[in-house]
Formats: sequence, structure tokens, C-alpha cells
Amino acid sequence: MECVVQGIIETQHVEALEILLQGLCGVHRERLRIHELCLKSGPNLGSEASEVRLLCDLEQPEPTWTVRHVGGSMRGAGADQISVLVRTMVESKVSKNVLRLFYLLGYKLDHELLRVGFAFHFQRGAQIAVTVSSVNKMLKLHATDEAVPVTPGIQLVEVTAPASAENYSEVAASVSSFCEYLAPLLHLSKPGVSTGVVPTAAAAAASLMSYGGTTIM
Amino acid sequence: MPIKWILHWQPNAGHTVNSQILAEVSQCVESINGVKEGKWKATLSFYRPVLKEQANPSEFPRDFLGISLPEQPNKYYLVLRGQRLVLEADSTIQTIMEKLQSYKTRVALNFEGFQYQLGDFQLRVGKVVSIQSESLRGIVMEMEYRPISSWEKSHKIMGEFFDIWQEALSKRSLAGHFVHMEPNFGEFGLSGQYTLQHTAVQYATIMLQMIATAQSVRN
Repeated sequence: MECVVQGIIETQHVEALEILLQGLCGVHRERLRIHELCLKSGPNLGSEASEVRLLCDLEQPEPTWTVRHVGGSMRGAGADQISVLVRTMVESKVSKNVLRLFYLLGYKLDHELLRVGFAFHFQRGAQIAVTVSSVNKMLKLHATDEAVPVTPGIQLVEVTAPASAENYSEVAASVSSFCEYLAPLLHLSKPGVSTGVVPTAAAAAASLMSYGGTTIM
Repeated sequence: MPIKWILHWQPNAGHTVNSQILAEVSQCVESINGVKEGKWKATLSFYRPVLKEQANPSEFPRDFLGISLPEQPNKYYLVLRGQRLVLEADSTIQTIMEKLQSYKTRVALNFEGFQYQLGDFQLRVGKVVSIQSESLRGIVMEMEYRPISSWEKSHKIMGEFFDIWQEALSKRSLAGHFVHMEPNFGEFGLSGQYTLQHTAVQYATIMLQMIATAQSVRN
């Protein structure tokens, strides 16, 4: 299981967000460059349609592959009361021939993306990961070198933390309280519930940039 | 990673495997000074596609194998024999396969028994049993030579040891013998440096043979 919230930020404020995250987390950022392939089961395979994501980490000297399955999110009154989405998520690191395996099993490529940006991993009541990335699409199959942004000028921010059936409410509380620190720059909400950019972002970014000692244009 | 040969018991025509043979094989390892070290266990599952009625089965693999090995309990190996593909994954891939509901495990087998130390060799003798019924399906033997990890360089010493072993076992006049099948690892994209993926491919290969033997007895 994992707890997750998402938000968007204008690219011009990403540097300010990075300064803020750096100050809050106390760790260095990691570069992020992930080729994500979304596969769906062919029409005659499986009792119901299924979907799986293959993530290729292009930042590593030798690209590494992970299979990710995102399951249904928690529902009901309890789930409505918390401000983060709790869903099942299983990952498995795999060898590089995984795409061929799923093609042979009868899965088809639905779409592919390239996420480029940075991430922070740190402990703050839970093992939290914050990723800030521009989402790009490929004009030609697998051509990651020729990717173009899906939404130019806008980047996706995602805050996730692993959780279990026993501790998800504590983890969700940790994620929520962390998100409050980012509120002047961006609003984070459950995936699918888009709240847009926040009006205070420009002022907050300007303030952060001056504190950060960076020259502001 | 030390080199390993995986052998399986081939009964003579008209004979089947039984626990008496397993006991004799274990005694034979001890008679050539194999020192019993402890138990070992590997598991192998057959995954079959879940297809809708209108599906054309020939468009999908008939099955693939999922294998867990005692050397790396947090890893899991998927082998598509016909397509010559072996995948190494974290053992959580089993949970992902369950959630996808597109392939399901139909038959699961345990390979389990004792391991023995014999100089630089490690031998594992085990029975093959179905998890559902515990009935004896076969006998396997792992022959590992620790100092070498190159398949090619180890071939001579492995061959010699195999001959010595066959000779020791022949004195017991059992109705069958151990067979070593050498898969073409290159076809699976594997190099000559031994890895656990090589072990998974060997298990997949002997499975084919064991099924063929069982079918020929039945017919």
C-alpha cells in the first residue's frame, strides 16, 4: 500500500520549490529520468482487463527496470475523511527483458511517458518521497531523446509514502502535515482531484528565492 | 556464482520412481563421504493463461514457469521455455501476477531434500512432490562445484565427477539412472558466467523431460 497526493506547479517556480524542499528535507535531491511504459492486457486475456507499468530508470549507468502494479484505492467514509489517497501498490525489480516478457504474455503497449526532474527521499514520520517532474510524450516509439512535454510550462509534483493496513492513518497524517509546508507554492490533493496552481505561488517563490540567496530576475 | 548441474532421475522402461530409490541415492552420497549439511527446498509453479472463450489459445504461451531458489529467497524466476526467455525478478512479482489475474498457477511442485558437502562439491538430493498431493513425481540432484563459475571451464571436472557418481550408483543396480541435460543458455541470452538464471533454465528443462517421461509411462 501507499499514500499519495499530487499537485502541479509552473516550471518558473520549480527552483523555489527545490530550495524549500532542500530546507525541509535536509537531504540532497536525486536526478530523475524515468521511461514509463503502460501495458494493458489484450482483449481475450484475463478474467478482466488488467494494467501494469514498466519503469526504466535512465539515471542509472546501466538502466534498471521495475514492474509496478497500482491497485484500487481505499473507499468508504474513513477514506473520504483523510486528504490523501490510500491505494495498493506493488513493485518488483526485474531484469531488462521484462518488456519482451509482457508482450509474449499477451500485453500491449497503451502509452509511454518520460518523466524528467528530481526527487527527495527522507524520513518524516514516514518514509516520504517527493518527485517533481515534467511529463513528456514520445513522438516516435521509445524515442526518449525526442520527447516533448505533455503540458509545457507545468510540472507534476507527487508525494508518496509506503504504508500498510496497520499504519496507513499515521502515514497519511505525516504526508498531510508535510504537504502543509508546501501550501504557499502548490496545493496537493488526491490524484484525479485537480486543484490547479495556487495564486500565492509567485509571491512565495520570490520570497524563497531571496532567502535562498539566488539572484532573482 | 558457482557452477551447477541439475540432474534428474530417468527410470528404466516400465519402471517408475519410488521413495526406495531416493533412499538408495542418499545412502550412495554418504557412501562416497558426502557430509550431510541440512535441508534445502526450491519451488516451481506452472502459470497458465486465463482466456476468454473466443480467444485463440495459440496466440498465448501454453504456460510459463515461476521458480524460487533457496540461494536467493527474495528473488523469483519466470521462464518461458518455448520463447527462450528467463526473467529475474523480486519475489513480489508473484503478488503482481496474482493481482493481474491474467495467468494463474495451476500446478505447484516442491523440490526438497538434503544437501551434502564433498570437498569442493556440494550435492543436493531431493524429491519432487506436488504441493497439493505430496505424491512423488520425480528425483532431482544438484551438483555444484564451488571454485568455478564458468560453464565452459568447469565442463571437464563436472563431467568427470558425474562419471564417478554414475559408477558409484551403478553398484546399487537401481532401475534407472541420472540424466544431465545441457540447455543452450545462449538462446536464453545468458553468457558463460554462471548465474541463478542458468539454474532456473535448467529446472525448466528437466521439467519438460520429467513431464515427457510421465506421459510415456501413462501411455
